[in-house]
Amino acid sequence: MAFNYDKYLRLEKMPTLWCWGCGDGVILKAFVRAIEKMGVNQDDVCVVSGIGCSGRFSSYVDFNTVHTTHGRTIAYATGIKLAKPDKMVICVAGDGDALAIGGNHTIHGCRRNIDMTMIIINNFIYGLTNSQTSPTTPKGMWTVSQKAGNIDPTFDTCDLAIAAGASFVARESMLDPKKLEKMLIKAMEHKGFSMAEVLSNCHINLGRKNKMVSAMENLEWIDSITAPKKKYDAMTPEEQLNILPTGILKQDLEADEYCDMYAEIQKVHQGERKVITQDDFAKKI
Amino acid sequence: MATREVISTGNELAAIAAVDAGCMFFGGYPLTPSSEVMHVISDLLPKKGGVAIQMEDEIGGICAVIGAAMVGQRALTATSGPGMSLKAEQLGLAQMAEVPLVCVNVMRGGPSTGLPTRVSQGDILQSKNPSHGDYKSITLCAGSLAECYTEVVRAFNIADRFMQPVIVLLDETIGHMHGKADLPTVEEVEAGIVPRKRFDGPAEEYFPYECEHDQPAVLNPMYEGYRYHFTGLHHDKNGYPTEEIETCRKLIQRLEDKVALHEDEVESYEEFMMDDAEVMIVAYGSVSLAAKESIRHLRKEGIKAGLFRPITIWPSPAAKIKEHTDKIEKVLVVELNIGQYHGEIQRAAARLDIEGLFKVNGRPISPYEIVNKVKEL
Amino acid sequence: MGTFKTQNPGNQPVWVNTSNCKACDICVSVCPSGVLGMKYESTSTLGAMISIDNPESCIGCNECELTCPDFAIYVADKQEYKAAGFSFAKLTDEAKERQAAIIANNYMSLNQGAK
Repeated sequence: MAFNYDKYLRLEKMPTLWCWGCGDGVILKAFVRAIEKMGVNQDDVCVVSGIGCSGRFSSYVDFNTVHTTHGRTIAYATGIKLAKPDKMVICVAGDGDALAIGGNHTIHGCRRNIDMTMIIINNFIYGLTNSQTSPTTPKGMWTVSQKAGNIDPTFDTCDLAIAAGASFVARESMLDPKKLEKMLIKAMEHKGFSMAEVLSNCHINLGRKNKMVSAMENLEWIDSITAPKKKYDAMTPEEQLNILPTGILKQDLEADEYCDMYAEIQKVHQGERKVITQDDFAKKI
Repeated sequence: MATREVISTGNELAAIAAVDAGCMFFGGYPLTPSSEVMHVISDLLPKKGGVAIQMEDEIGGICAVIGAAMVGQRALTATSGPGMSLKAEQLGLAQMAEVPLVCVNVMRGGPSTGLPTRVSQGDILQSKNPSHGDYKSITLCAGSLAECYTEVVRAFNIADRFMQPVIVLLDETIGHMHGKADLPTVEEVEAGIVPRKRFDGPAEEYFPYECEHDQPAVLNPMYEGYRYHFTGLHHDKNGYPTEEIETCRKLIQRLEDKVALHEDEVESYEEFMMDDAEVMIVAYGSVSLAAKESIRHLRKEGIKAGLFRPITIWPSPAAKIKEHTDKIEKVLVVELNIGQYHGEIQRAAARLDIEGLFKVNGRPISPYEIVNKVKEL
Repeated sequence: MGTFKTQNPGNQPVWVNTSNCKACDICVSVCPSGVLGMKYESTSTLGAMISIDNPESCIGCNECELTCPDFAIYVADKQEYKAAGFSFAKLTDEAKERQAAIIANNYMSLNQGAK
């Protein structure tokens, strides 16, 4: 007997629609193992995804699942979470989904610090729609919409999330599924907005035209641009230039969680406490 | 029918109506002239344990509302023209995934930013097809302060019956009008609540989208042991994406037929002095108030005018319109746009000689303008 | 519909579900001890299919299972496998060399020739 994924999957939807060697499948498995280890009841979990290859994530897992419109994952999830604050909400989105069309919802989800986990599968490209530039496509790479080479500066997802106020921010790649699984558990256990960026491969639509024709070559490239946070911190600024640190980059256990704060609003209106004033907060602005 | 008298505005009444109808969630974004709905409901909902959230944009507002509705709550959003345009895609998802919600649109001048603080009825055709693709919209239009209340209540019951978004159109005049309204009592509203259907059998026998050709999906709230999939893609009985030819055809036909074959359940209109009318005025929303006033003037002058006021404007009360237009020669459609409902009246009447009085400068139509136009006919 | 084979088909250290395998080579690349390789398979999408060539060298590290995106390869549970009277191999130099040769052979089984 090996690890039994069957319980958490919609077996009639298998095999997945993802290409051979796609990291999405590895992340899906790590997520399932993380849920199993946490011992959460399937009925108490809602997985919300957007549009793109990552959007299919929700249809393969046997939880309460929602496949929303492009970029709106967090906005839907916010409604779901506020309607049932005691249940778990997991968002899954791609780099284009979460950072381009859904960038607004991403930064405001982080700002509100509402208790949900956002898994951003970053494969550095629009994969489903055939190789258009995404906000994380490295400069100088070939994309179908910038055949002369991409000149658009890139977003650092984790820096963005930290700046926007997410209380848990971490990055791993799908190269090390064990580490990934541990990180996902920590992200899901954290109370507040957890941003979990997972670097993944798209050798089909990123790699093919950028000298990474196979999954393995694409993964080797990801390996070459990542370093554990400790190692990263010891690097010189020049060395850090083209490296993304992995591991837990931020965890703030003190930050106010939005659903908890909204419960205070309800108390005010129900006459159980005075109105909320600036004095109630250490950090006001 | 027990009633109560209140003094309020249309926007405030819409918010109160939602709460009385069992709404527990509001998601929205400030948008003149609808913002007062959010102002009022953000006090009312937390009081009864509900949630009102101002999201980062209009799109986020309706997304959160759809999310809450998926969890089983009655949910409301409110906006005006530009916000309606932004919400369009999500209304399409709610149509496709069959998620009930109510969207109040307080109409202002358009297109684009248009006339933010001025009245218009320019969103009539938009409300018929806000999003791409085929589906059958249900749109109600309040023509008085009291209807800002009763139509929102009715919208929630219709949304749960047909499992789809219902748009309630107010216009800036009605929304900001401050006055007296006779409303049904809260007890009466609560007694009239018909919650959405749910499946109570074993989870393995539950197929949310497996239903009769003219019936809506039966969607149990999430987190209650019935795990299924919501998607905007074409889907099968479980909600799982599919491209199977017959399943796709049946799904879209059902979205049409679930409303089209039950139009009598949503049909609503008012006939004012129509019994002996020789001139038929068609007006809705705030314009109908001016039309009624004009009819009183015309009658004094011996012109037998009457008002036909559709309350459910989509689907339109086409059969009733034809019944009148077959008998009455002079038909005048009065509206604050360039003939958006005029076309529908032409279609319903199967006549091309329907007259129109249109105004698009952000000002209301006065009774005298209507009187003068009728005299010209 | 993909059926899973999480059950050990009969005291194997590692086994595959060929109906789920998309021949991406990842499992072959992560194996430390040259257990796996790809063989030519004309009916498969990419013209290749996973092959377990040297099960006796499997050290039970589970890397192939964890990195398989498609639920196509499984490794026996250490305790169950032991209880059934078997044990995983130790990593040998010979196995390491074989693994290097397989990678140099473009992940193809050594008896298949170069890709």
